[in-house]
Amino acid sequence: MSTVKINFILNNKPVSLEVAPNCRAIDMLRENLDLTGTKIGCGEGDCGACTIIIDGNTANSCMVLAAQLDGKNVVTIEGLGTYDKLDALQQAFIDEGAVQCGFCTPGMLLSAKVLLDHNPKPSRQEIMQSISGNLCRCTGYEKIANAIEKASSK
Amino acid sequence: MAELSIVGKSVIRKDALDKVLGKTRYSADIKMPNMLHAKVLRSTVAHAFVKKIDVTKAAALPGVHAVLTAKDVPGLNGHGIIFKDEPVLVSDKIRKIGDGLALVAAETEEIAQQALHLIEVELEKIPGVFDAVQAMQEDAPKVQGNSNILALRKIIRGNVDTVFETADIVVENEYVTQMQEHAYIEPEAGIAYMEDDIIVVKAATQNTHFDCREIARNLALPQSRIRMIQAPTGGGFGGKLDVSVQIYLALLALKTRRPVKLVYSREESIITSSKRHPCVIKYKTAADKTGKLLAVDVHVVADTGAYSSYGPAPVTRLAVHAAGPYEVPNVRIYAYTVYTNNPTAGAMRGFGVPQIAFAYEQQMDIIAQKAGISPLEIRLRNTLKNGSVTSTGQVMNVKGNIGNTLMPAYEKVMENKGQSVVPHKKRGVGMGCLYFGIGNTGQPNPAGAFLDVMEDGSAHLMVGAADIGQGSNTILAQIAAEELGLDFKDIKVISADTGVTPDGGASSASRQTYISGNATLKAAKVVKEKLVNEIVVWQSVSLEAVSLKNKWVFINDKQTDITVAQLIARCRGKGTMTIGHGWYNPTTQPLDDEMGQGEPYEVYSFASHVAEVEVDTQTGQVEVVRIAAAHDVGQAVNPLHVEGQIEGGTIMGVGYGIYEEIKVANGNIRTPSFATYVIPTAMDIPIVDAIIVEESANTGPFGAKGLGEPPLCAPAAAIANAVSQAIGVRINSLPITPEKVLKALQAAEKI
Repeated sequence: MSTVKINFILNNKPVSLEVAPNCRAIDMLRENLDLTGTKIGCGEGDCGACTIIIDGNTANSCMVLAAQLDGKNVVTIEGLGTYDKLDALQQAFIDEGAVQCGFCTPGMLLSAKVLLDHNPKPSRQEIMQSISGNLCRCTGYEKIANAIEKASSK
Repeated sequence: MAELSIVGKSVIRKDALDKVLGKTRYSADIKMPNMLHAKVLRSTVAHAFVKKIDVTKAAALPGVHAVLTAKDVPGLNGHGIIFKDEPVLVSDKIRKIGDGLALVAAETEEIAQQALHLIEVELEKIPGVFDAVQAMQEDAPKVQGNSNILALRKIIRGNVDTVFETADIVVENEYVTQMQEHAYIEPEAGIAYMEDDIIVVKAATQNTHFDCREIARNLALPQSRIRMIQAPTGGGFGGKLDVSVQIYLALLALKTRRPVKLVYSREESIITSSKRHPCVIKYKTAADKTGKLLAVDVHVVADTGAYSSYGPAPVTRLAVHAAGPYEVPNVRIYAYTVYTNNPTAGAMRGFGVPQIAFAYEQQMDIIAQKAGISPLEIRLRNTLKNGSVTSTGQVMNVKGNIGNTLMPAYEKVMENKGQSVVPHKKRGVGMGCLYFGIGNTGQPNPAGAFLDVMEDGSAHLMVGAADIGQGSNTILAQIAAEELGLDFKDIKVISADTGVTPDGGASSASRQTYISGNATLKAAKVVKEKLVNEIVVWQSVSLEAVSLKNKWVFINDKQTDITVAQLIARCRGKGTMTIGHGWYNPTTQPLDDEMGQGEPYEVYSFASHVAEVEVDTQTGQVEVVRIAAAHDVGQAVNPLHVEGQIEGGTIMGVGYGIYEEIKVANGNIRTPSFATYVIPTAMDIPIVDAIIVEESANTGPFGAKGLGEPPLCAPAAAIANAVSQAIGVRINSLPITPEKVLKALQAAEKI
């Protein structure tokens, strides 16, 4: 199969890759770049575990082709914070008990990140709306919303 | 008791940092050099004889390294938590859609998938049975053996028949509950590889030691040749107790001598994993005119699907809890576990109790109405309390009663109760209560712990308990740290690895805080004894004077200038190893077969849910506005975790109450995705008030009891009662959908 050459910004760094035209963004991230923080929960765009940020908006990376990232600015969970410097959202998730099994956590954090980037002081309703595409089966969402609220007041 | 320094504190969970950074490697995230990818050929028919499986073409496909069928299973071709009635790979008869027929390992997933298409299967379809009540009839097609009745659990006490003849109030209803999916966000996955002659399997699981025993039996190898390691697991809720990828991976790794990975798709996960038993419950209750319960007569048929899995165990738990947290002197409970060609039902959080609570709690409200008392009053009047005798003849040894949880939950909802703003929307409040036995029902279910305390005051705690997100690693470290006066952060927990840790049993039955917690505490006490003996000699003080706390040695409650680490180093310097092991097995008495009498659990948790709903009488839509969930946990080891369990379980219970249903037609799941199987999103949730009640249990570690399951057990019951209060009609079938509400309103001519 022929390949497509793509150039994009990933977590603030330029990336240049040859990918198959039918390669999904999620597979490129996880397999080609070993960025496994982005999870596959359903592969059908229903659960949000594969949420990434493309040009400032959330996207289910299982529903996006890698080639579609050409020229885009992409952020994955690996670009949100580091051991030395956590994002305020990550610290709040830890402190507020918003993490249980953790499988939805990366996607949840990135949805929250986009919310706060657009709307630094969201209402509870807006918080719930912003994560409504991210399924969580452990927490019941309450502590996740608390964490986002806490991070937004920083 | 002296004031606790770590137990009771909401310390940060040990795995949180890696998880928020996306660094945690779940099974699907693991890559190894030379790794092959596996796929499973599965049956798309529900009941058939296998005539032939020809893998010649598949095996010849370039890039394919192994194609295995039943004949390649060297040991017993059967597995299952209680009975080994599920083939690893089908050799003769398919019993459900999704049965594994063949395995492929290939260089890529694509090649493995292509190979599946090249496997030729010849089948002879036979009639199936898809309804549990029909399956009980003599002439029904048989799924396994000569009868579809896998088990009958009887619990009989007193004389039910004579009571029903004379009782003032008799209420009889049929309740129907649906099949529920666990819907953990991580689909089943794992990887296996050879390490010398050891097969290492790393996978999402709730019970490594069980998995290891299964693999060893199927591969005809000693358990010591298998090392089963739990990979970080993205939720379980009972659905990762059954073996999924583990045996397949071990077979393929041994065959190919290469690392092999197998990751299920969401559809494959939903089709193959066990479910909550759908039940038909006939429930008859007798009470006197004051609302005092006299008798219950309960008949349950639970559809367990094609294989036994945990099957009879949740149905037994259902039977044991069938009278609810109430004193009922006369009981007759018949609970059948029945095979069909439907998806397998096994363990799911709550383990039979959510089904029966939906029935007994609606019965309670109906009786209250007939007796002219409030729903609150009837529950308080009938509550189990210290000295009460349960359905199984067990004398309750408890401090509180249902009021301890029911009152705070009820008050919370009533003080916030709102009004509907439009006349066609009606509000109502309802309650659901339960008691819940901690640990397996009347069975030995021990757990062990190893502790190695090092001279710098840090320690390794090795436990079999699988942390599937509920936080057991954190809780157990808190218990060890509290007992030994160590810093919680310095305790590294190594869990669920058969090569290293002792057996912890399953992370199920709400048992790990209590049982692995007690095992950990015992291991810590072994070490503590050595430390205390040393300081007694060293400082010439009495045993009783010594305590260890917050890294310091205390004598007569005064801090000394000796750290715990110094004391450990002194012991080790003198040749005393500061290691310990402990194990705990709760004292129970099995239920006898005929009368179901015995002492099934050592300790019980109490819980109450009170729900406020708003029902739209034009659309039938039920909105849960608020739900207060009060849980007696003995001692909250980590209050933030406890709240997390209550909130998450309650929302899962709301899903069970009004949204979720695995729809099955002729054995075929019609809802194999999150688009068709709807779990609550952040937009669907009510306000949840998590209320922690602490009636400490004498036998629990620092008084703690179990908590994992009770939060899911009563929301559906509370919602059903609230709906009835709102619109005056009862919905006896779950989930409470708009269609059912409208139909009930029409039948009652209320619209």
